[in-house]
Parts: sequence; structure tokens; C-alpha cells
Amino acid sequence: MTQLVQALVLGLLIGGVYALMASGLTLIFGVMNIINVAHGALLILVAFLTWKTWSVTGIDPILLAVVMTPLMFGVGWLLYKGVLSRISGSSPGMSVLLTFGIAITIEGILNVTAGNKFRSATPSYFSQSFRILGISLPKAQVYGCIAAVLVLGLLYVVLAKTWTGRAIRATAQNPSGAALIGIQASGVAALAFAIGTATTGVGGSVLSVLYPFFPASHYDWISRLLGIIVLGGMGSLAGALVGAIVLGLAETLTATYVSLQWSTLIFYAVIMIVLLFRPQGLFGSRLRQDVMA
Amino acid sequence: MARQHDSGNFARHARSVTPIRAIATGVAVLLAVGACGTAPSKTAAADNSKPLVVGISLPLTGDFSQPGGEARKGYEIWRDQVNADGGLLGRKIELKITDDASNQDTVVTDYTKLITQDKVDLLLGTFSTLLNFPASAVAEKNKMLYVEPAGGAPKMFDRGFTKLFFAQQATASHQPDVFVDYIKSLPESERPKTAAYPTQDDPFTTPVIESMQKQLEALGVKTVYTTTYPADATNFQTIASAIAAKKPDLIAQGAVFEDGVGLVRSLQQLNYTPKVLFQTSAPSNAGQYSDGIGKANTEGVFYTVSWNEKAKTPNNAEFVAEYAKRYNGGIPAEDAADAYAAAQVVQAAAKAVGKIDQDAMATWLHANKVETILGTLAWDQTGAPTSQFLLAQWQNGAPEVVAPKEAATVDKVVTKTPWQ
Repeated sequence: MTQLVQALVLGLLIGGVYALMASGLTLIFGVMNIINVAHGALLILVAFLTWKTWSVTGIDPILLAVVMTPLMFGVGWLLYKGVLSRISGSSPGMSVLLTFGIAITIEGILNVTAGNKFRSATPSYFSQSFRILGISLPKAQVYGCIAAVLVLGLLYVVLAKTWTGRAIRATAQNPSGAALIGIQASGVAALAFAIGTATTGVGGSVLSVLYPFFPASHYDWISRLLGIIVLGGMGSLAGALVGAIVLGLAETLTATYVSLQWSTLIFYAVIMIVLLFRPQGLFGSRLRQDVMA
Repeated sequence: MARQHDSGNFARHARSVTPIRAIATGVAVLLAVGACGTAPSKTAAADNSKPLVVGISLPLTGDFSQPGGEARKGYEIWRDQVNADGGLLGRKIELKITDDASNQDTVVTDYTKLITQDKVDLLLGTFSTLLNFPASAVAEKNKMLYVEPAGGAPKMFDRGFTKLFFAQQATASHQPDVFVDYIKSLPESERPKTAAYPTQDDPFTTPVIESMQKQLEALGVKTVYTTTYPADATNFQTIASAIAAKKPDLIAQGAVFEDGVGLVRSLQQLNYTPKVLFQTSAPSNAGQYSDGIGKANTEGVFYTVSWNEKAKTPNNAEFVAEYAKRYNGGIPAEDAADAYAAAQVVQAAAKAVGKIDQDAMATWLHANKVETILGTLAWDQTGAPTSQFLLAQWQNGAPEVVAPKEAATVDKVVTKTPWQ
């Protein structure tokens, strides 16, 4: 019993962090039909900046998200205005090529400036756990999950309750309709891209503590995150959350009862079965009609 | 599969040089076609004024970019030292290095092109079993000697190849022998009674752990847990709790790098310290390993390794000094040393034969021993090496060699301390 609870709790904690990392990716796709393959590389970039700042100043790496988030908002805005806006209206395939180029560029820059080696931030709590009723909760994982819940909650409030959020959702549902009622599509797109990129500010800071990383780690992350949002329904925030938790639970439950070796297979088997019955993913079509309201 | 130390420089080379090389090669191919049949490789072999071209494909980008970059450094240092010494067979050595992006298809294309279009004089191997497996088949088919620095999975050597040589001390299944010998040397009462064997699903780690389990079971060490996890596993808490529940005396993990750090961190979170901890290659990544798990927590961790910077082997001191000079005082990664040793093997064969004759060099290597910075290497008929790895242990925040005796850098083994 304890074993099952332990696996479930860990699965939820891991899933929460995955959801945080996937949220920006799905938001950007939902609004702009851009599959941002550079999302993983941006996470690694933030993880590196966080690690560097932590190792020089000693400031808590997860707290550094407060600095990284606005920074990445700016980076996202510039990336959109400078590069991605040029392919607005093109097919998602074009965005894959372009953002893959950005990913390789970031990897290359990190290789040259930071060096091709593993890093990980190790604040004092990285190896400690909370213990509740025989269940062990790794502190770093708990803090990461709290950050994830905060970010996802904030994103939900912004999208559902603010005028800006409504403008973003309107553009996602019907760009020409939104334009007709006075929403400037390009401004909204830049904003959505910047917000989506800003989530890597938190995701990357958390990653730097939880997982060792090096410049080419982004390939692993982007493939995992794409799996999550395909399962959840591309463009759906709630879908990303559910997809991430399914992946987290698939990892811990298979590791506990079968073997971790099967977790990847089981996760992709779940994706395949879901797609057979719902080609749009778990939450996909609902989003197209009324976003996640 | 060690991955370590700063390799920022190689990346710069990789990204700027490769396209230029590609264009240059393209132009060369066009010229060759234009000249219609004046392909000069046969005559060039005898011409001392022409450089001796060594063709290599390395994973300079992608998953194996870290060890690939280190291997490149090893090869380059070897080239410059040999050239400063008058070259090989009186000819200057030129390396033709291409990037296979850690991809099996690309590595096949690369070696095929190096052999058939660039007509290189010699080949040197790439990094990892994954890439060397198909690459060595290309070399064998084209009757070229193929000495590879990293790729010791047993399946490499059951294909009946005659020109393949692995330039380390032992194949993966014999890698744990030196550790098992150490356990054997302990009095019965001090040996671990129970053991857990988690391993990554990797052709280089799995055979090591399987072989160790078999040998230790024969010694009476009871297996209480085994698991294999995929290469992309990132969360180890579940495995760690399963292990901790079984309370094994020994944990022997087939760890590449992240997984090694990940499992130790998770064991720390559970506050479970085994009496003996062995990991395959993760702990050989000196600084990155101690940064990842905390320096104090490295005390007593065992691993096997092919090379040590303090070893008194021929040319080792020069190699270490040159590496430090080039890369801001860095200590060479094991991968750089392995590449250097592979090049030493080819060099020894060419020197002994006196000319570039692929068959004769292979025959010579099958029959002789070669002194390298890793120590003395020798091979059986399949090209599998027949020596023993070094057993290393972290002591006082630094890796030391504890066995075999002639290579040891310290004379005592320490016990594992509880996590800090």
C-alpha cells in the first residue's frame, strides 16, 4: 500500500514539473500553430543561466525563476518580432524547421561559451526529503511542483480572466474574427509567444536542480514534451497537465510494478490508443471550440 | 563512456571547420571527376612529401558530442606530437575528421566516403559501440584496419572480423573482473552478502553488470534486486526506494552519467547508504560527478576505468601535460586518452610493418603487444583485448586507482561513508 501511495505521489510530483515545462509549448501552438521545437533548448539555456548565477552568487536556483521569467519573456518577444513573425501564416511544418534552427543555434552557443559538460545546481536541499507517514517526498521535487502549480494557475487566470487572455483565446479560435473586432493579431501573437517562452524561465530553473543537463539535453526534453502535448491535445493547457501527469505516473508505476524499461513504451502506447479514438488528443477539440474556459 | 571536462573549443572547431571541409571535399570531388581517372592514391602511398591522411568520423554533435569532442582532442594531440617528432614513416600526419552527429546512418556514409572518395591512408575509430558497430563493418568490407577507442560490447567481436581492434584493456563483459577479484580478496566476513544491480539499457553497461552479477553470485553474494531502465530515464526515486527496501550491502549500477548521479541523489533523499557502491562510468567524469552528488558523498565509490592521469605508462605524462597546456589546465577525459591510445596502436603497427599495408598491420597486431598510455594492450583473433581494467575509487574527493597493484596510485581501499 505504502509502495502504491509512494509511486502515485512521486508520479504526481514529476508530472507537475513536466506540465510546467510543457505549458508554454502548448500555449504557443494553440495560439499560433507554431510547433516550437526550440522550447527544450530554451529550457536548457535557462537551466544553464540559473546554474551559473547560483554557482557565482549562491542565490537559490528555484527562486531565480523570479529573474529568469521576465528575462525569458523579453527573449520570447524578441524571438517572435525578429524571426518568427516572418513565417506567420505559413504551415506548422515551416515553424518546425525554423525553431529547430533556433534550437541548434542555442545548443551551439552553449557549447562554445559554456562548454560541453554536465552541470547541476545542488542547493543544500537537493538531497533531502520530507517524510510523511512513511512516504518520502524529495524537497527539490516538491518545490518544483509548487512552482509548477503557481505558474499553471497564473496562466489559467491570465487566459480566462483578463482582457489580454480573452484576446489571446479569441485569436486562437478565429484569427479573422478577432481582427474584425479590433484585436491586433500580430501583437497578440508576440504576447502569446513571449508568455509561452517566459514559462521556460521557471521550468529551466527547476530543471537545473532536478536533473543534470548539458547543451544537447534539449533533444530528450523536447521529445518528452511533444509527447505530452500530443497526448493532451495540442494547444490545450489542461491537456498538457493531464498528459504530463499520465507520463509521470507511467514512469513511477511501471518502475514500481514492472520495470522502468517499459515506461517509455507504455507512455507511447497510451498516446497511440488515445489518438486512435481521439485524433485531436484528450482535450484537443474542446480547445478549438472554446479554449480551456 | 566517460564524458567530462571542458570541451568548448572542440565545438567551435566542429561548427566552423566542418562546412569548410565539406565544401573543400566537394571541390576536390569535382576536380577528381574533371581530371578523369588520375586518382593518385596508389602512387601517393609511396611519396614521402605527401601527408599520411587518417580518416575519422566522430560524434561532434548530438547525444555523444561530449565524448566525441574529447576523442577529437586525443587524436589531435597525438597528431601534433607525432608530427613534431618527424611524422609516421617519414610522412606528416593529417587528420580528416567528419561529424557523424551521433547517427548510425551518417557514420556509415562518413566512413564509406573517407575510404572510397577521399581515399585516406588509415582509419581510426569513432566513439561508442552504437557507432563503431556499423562503422567497423564498412572498414572490414573495404579491407581497412579499424582500431576503435570506445566500443567494447561483446557483440562487436562475434562477427568474425579480422581488421577490428578495440584499444582498451578488456571488453565490457570482462570489465568487472578486477572488481570481482577485489571482492574475492576480502575475508569472507567482510564481503557483501546481498547486492542490487540496476543498469541502463546500454550496450556498454548491461554486459558489465550482467557479468558482475554472475560472478558475484558464484561467490555467494545473493542478488536481491535487478532492473534495467531506458537511456532517457530521468527520475530515479522509484528505483531507489525499491532498492532501499531490500537493503542490499552492494549496489552495482550500470551508469553512463546522468543516471549515476540521479540514482545517488535519490538514495541520498531516502538516506540509504549501501556498504559498497560500484558504478560503471559515471564516477570517472571527475569534476562533473562530484559537483552532481556533492564532493563529500563521493568517498568510497568504486568504478572501473581504462586510464588514469597519474599512470606511469609511456608518453602519458607528455599527453597529460599537452592537454593541460591546450585546455586551460584541464585533466584529460578518459575518452581523450582512449582515442590517443587507439592512435598509438595504429602508429605501432605501421612502424613495425614499415609501410601502410592494412593486412600486414592487422596480422602484426594479432600477434604482438602494444605499449600505450593505457598500459600494455594485446588482442585475441576477434580483435577483443585480453588485459584487465583498472579498479578506481574516490578517496578524499579525488579518484585513485586501487587495483591492479602495478597500476595503483594508493595502497589502501577506503570504506564507503554515509551520505552527508
